[in-house]
Amino acid sequence: MPNTDTPMTTVASQPNIALECRSLSHWFGSKRVLHDIHLTIQRGQFVSLVGPSGCGKSTLLRAIVGTHLPNEGVVQVHAKEASIPPSPVKGPGRDRGIVYQHYSLFPFLTALENVAIGLKLDQTTLTDRLFRWGYWKKTRKGHLEEAAAMLERVKLKDAMHLYPHEMSGGMRQRVAIAQALVMKPEIILLDEPFGALDEATREELQKALLELYEENQQAKAAGELPDYTLIIVTHELNEAIYVGDRLIGLSQYWGWKGEGHSALPGASIVYDQPTPIFEPNSVRDFEIFEHQRAAVRQEVFHPKHLQPRIDPDSNTHP
Amino acid sequence: MIRRPIASTTRIILGLLSVALMLASYSWLSYRQHQKNPKDTTIPNWSQLSEGVQRSIQWNERLEDRWITDDAAATLTRLFAGLGLAVVGSCVLGIAMGCSQSVEAFLAPPLSFLAKVPATAVIAVFMALVGLGMKMYLTMIVFGILPSMAITVYQSVKTFPDELQYKAYTLGASHMEVVCNVIFPYVLPKLLEATRLMIGPAMVYLIAAEMLFGDVGFGYRIRIQSKLLNMGVVYPYLALLAGFGFLMDSLLKTLQKKIAPWFDAQH
Repeated sequence: MPNTDTPMTTVASQPNIALECRSLSHWFGSKRVLHDIHLTIQRGQFVSLVGPSGCGKSTLLRAIVGTHLPNEGVVQVHAKEASIPPSPVKGPGRDRGIVYQHYSLFPFLTALENVAIGLKLDQTTLTDRLFRWGYWKKTRKGHLEEAAAMLERVKLKDAMHLYPHEMSGGMRQRVAIAQALVMKPEIILLDEPFGALDEATREELQKALLELYEENQQAKAAGELPDYTLIIVTHELNEAIYVGDRLIGLSQYWGWKGEGHSALPGASIVYDQPTPIFEPNSVRDFEIFEHQRAAVRQEVFHPKHLQPRIDPDSNTHP
Repeated sequence: MIRRPIASTTRIILGLLSVALMLASYSWLSYRQHQKNPKDTTIPNWSQLSEGVQRSIQWNERLEDRWITDDAAATLTRLFAGLGLAVVGSCVLGIAMGCSQSVEAFLAPPLSFLAKVPATAVIAVFMALVGLGMKMYLTMIVFGILPSMAITVYQSVKTFPDELQYKAYTLGASHMEVVCNVIFPYVLPKLLEATRLMIGPAMVYLIAAEMLFGDVGFGYRIRIQSKLLNMGVVYPYLALLAGFGFLMDSLLKTLQKKIAPWFDAQH
């Protein structure tokens, strides 16, 4: 049963938290998918989400994006300012960015326009663009400059005017990341973002994410709140450990009988551990985390390895 | 080997050859016909054709008309007004159907039914319902092409990936913005393509209506002059219609390439 002791809403945002899932359960008819998921993601964390196929990773991600709301429980997005109350997720919204594996860009816009469209949709309305031409023209110029600067950051200065079909898969994902970053969302969700890329391109993009993590570290060192929080769903354990600083394993293989269920109540979180932190320029050596990889394989992916799920109240990683 | 590539000069020579062959056979046919009957006008010779062209473009003092300009003005006004209505209407209906399941459930059955009814067969009904004149021509064109265009737009909206819709919402779009700034540009090239393909049918319906009820216009002129066996006027008119169709086709293709350079690569 969902943990009813935790309050469902909080009055003030906790700036050091980016996102919270509370008592989240989901099922399709008689098929139980998620069981009582509790997850608190600290601002600045890079959380990798892994799990066997069919464990409900996508369902959990969709619940967080807000495109498919869970049957039970609540997802809350916290703001950077404590005065703003955290907002419960009721649908997809501009406080959560998303990068998909496919269809990551609007095919009818160039790279630059793809990055600028968020600013346009968020900061101006249809009425502004139709009837306040002077204002819109001025604003648009600012948006394009901001988008160009963002593309320069992801090293795509020369590809600004290309359409998605003229770009390589790696370039498209870079633009998609820029498209999400320019909105400065509370959290960015990446759904198997590099799944369709070759290994070399994959490594480049992983390093691009590690650069963001490095900026986070610098901000923390300066006593500021880090800018980037992300959840990356991946089926690649190496990627999960290399890019993330925290690894969450979601699995349908857990000791639900021990909680008195007569049938599988849905997947739950069975693994939640920090992972080693890499610098973007350091050598990418997967041997270093062989030990953790083996542990995850055993605890998350092994159908016979059934253990109690992670205690919902303890997995907050302060 | 099939589809063996040929040199571009060969291609041009073959093209010119086919046109020359066509003109030569026509001259020969006409020559044979005139040997049998020197007054024949059903297969006019080149001088008769040129007289026909003269007749079409000269100002007639007595009737105070000039066929070609009067007919072109009438037919083109009807055609573009009808096409405009059909394009705007099918875009609105198609997007509404693609975006709302209620609208889809409500409109898809009648539209797919209407798309199968040949407009020319319904012409008497239109006459009874809207009478003659401009309204009649517009009804004919809109009824003839809007249903299938709306279905094309609607099916194009249905291929729009959900991910892009979700993404637009995470970028701060309102529902109306998703429709106007995301769905519309996505279906625009498809709409242009449908328009291009529908110019032919639109002309068929319009010319048919003009032939039956017109007092000016290409259809009217072709019917009257055919009745009088003035093929020297009819054939140049047909050539003009073909030329116009060709021109519209290439204009719309160019327009599509210009405003949606991304579209071809998608398919």
